[in-house]
Amino acid sequence: MHLMASKPQALTSTGPMRAFAANSKKVTTELIEINEDLMGFNQYLTEYYKQLAGSWEVAQKKVNLKAPEVPQDVEQIEAFKRIWIDIFDNDFTELFDSKKFGENYGKLVSKELELTKHWNNITNVVLQSVNLPSKEEIDEVYKELHSLKKRVGKLELQLKKKELAKK
Amino acid sequence: MNSESRIDPKIIEEVLKFSKNVIDAPKLVSAPDEISLEVTPHDTVHELDKTRLLRYRSLTEKQHKTPLLISYALINRYHILDIQPEKSWVRNLLLQGFDVYMLDWGTPTSMDKYLDFDDYVNGYLDSAVEHIKNESSTEKISLQGYCTGGTIATAYAALHPKSVKNYVATAPVIDGWRDTTVISNLAKHMDVDKMVDTIGNMPPEFMYYCFSVLKPFEQGIEKYVKFFKNIDNKKFVDNFLRVEKWLGDTPPIPGELFKQWIKDIYQDNLLIQNKMYVGGEHIDLKKIDMPTFTQIAVGDHLVSPECSMPLHYAIGSEDKTLRMYPTGHVGMIASSLSQKKVLPELGKWLAERS
Repeated sequence: MHLMASKPQALTSTGPMRAFAANSKKVTTELIEINEDLMGFNQYLTEYYKQLAGSWEVAQKKVNLKAPEVPQDVEQIEAFKRIWIDIFDNDFTELFDSKKFGENYGKLVSKELELTKHWNNITNVVLQSVNLPSKEEIDEVYKELHSLKKRVGKLELQLKKKELAKK
Repeated sequence: MNSESRIDPKIIEEVLKFSKNVIDAPKLVSAPDEISLEVTPHDTVHELDKTRLLRYRSLTEKQHKTPLLISYALINRYHILDIQPEKSWVRNLLLQGFDVYMLDWGTPTSMDKYLDFDDYVNGYLDSAVEHIKNESSTEKISLQGYCTGGTIATAYAALHPKSVKNYVATAPVIDGWRDTTVISNLAKHMDVDKMVDTIGNMPPEFMYYCFSVLKPFEQGIEKYVKFFKNIDNKKFVDNFLRVEKWLGDTPPIPGELFKQWIKDIYQDNLLIQNKMYVGGEHIDLKKIDMPTFTQIAVGDHLVSPECSMPLHYAIGSEDKTLRMYPTGHVGMIASSLSQKKVLPELGKWLAERS
């Protein structure tokens, strides 16, 4: 009676809610950090679109200079289209090839990965609450499996060589 | 003065025709699932994990003694080398009397995230080479590496020169610092450690993004305009759909392999400096002493000529040939130019040494 009355939490010790509640602080922390990273992500995303829009504007001005007249027939439309595509492809390739684009894109992807990490951490809390292995634990199994396969492969090769030498 | 603007009736005609083609397209075009990319008959002769070694059935009575193994790229699949009979790299080589094998890297899953360069070079590729040597009772084989498959094959040729009689490097990724493509710019600014630690394998969607920034307007607009304009041309449509299906099917790249590839090739450029290690073994390009044929496409916007060419000068071989072709990355292996120029030259070179 004493145990039943004084430790009510023992009643829920095998259910998911107790494990989840124990780690709920971690979920909250992750959510707060997600918001911070989301701000950084949006900053780089804005820069990404700004760079695209800037290149578009410059390219369009170049097209207007090179082909100021409105095309009047099919041949002219075709020629205009060629000019438009060539200038846009050149200018955008120049952008994608630039250090400023590469750096911003790298940071954008990096922030996206930070968000994924937080999401993984939240998922791990949920997984652990139902006694399922976390991503890290599954990765450990994969790593072990990979290492074992490699060792087996090398041993098989050595065995094969020995057999060949015997022949 | 006449202020009315006149529209050329031909323009209206063109617009109407184009609209009709767009509407008719679903009736005229096969669904991707209905298109089979398996063209030239072949058999799976060896399997290891998810990789398969394919052997194409001979099309000639007599064959050259030395078999040829193709190490295809890690991006997209080997089908582009056999995309249709008239443009098939494989078929052309078969008709020239070569015994052709292809290594299909398969589709890695999450559990393959720890596969690295060592597994690909000293595991899968080596296992395939050993199988071919046994099957054909030869001491050495001819090896061809295309694109990133060229990086793997180069590492293999340097580590296992005794197994390679002839080496063919087709647009190989070698010197990352000299590469002038958009891909290399993205790769250089990538936090690849964080990427692989967080998501494991490199997902196909990331690859698709990288492709989308290559000639975005030509590839994103003009290509499809041409497609709808030629919707009545069965041959054009068939070829277009085959290439599109191939483009849209790229397997994930194992995380550790991707990490080493980006770091050692694009970021630290170790391979060309003879500083790269695979499975603890030093890759010394001077050890590539077998006859070597390097093929480069001048208009390659995926692997720039400056990235591939240094291989020719870095290897130890005395019998080496460098050929440059006025085409692109895919044009070099699947076009009429490849059939008329690239393959006959390769065939002649290989035949003299096989």
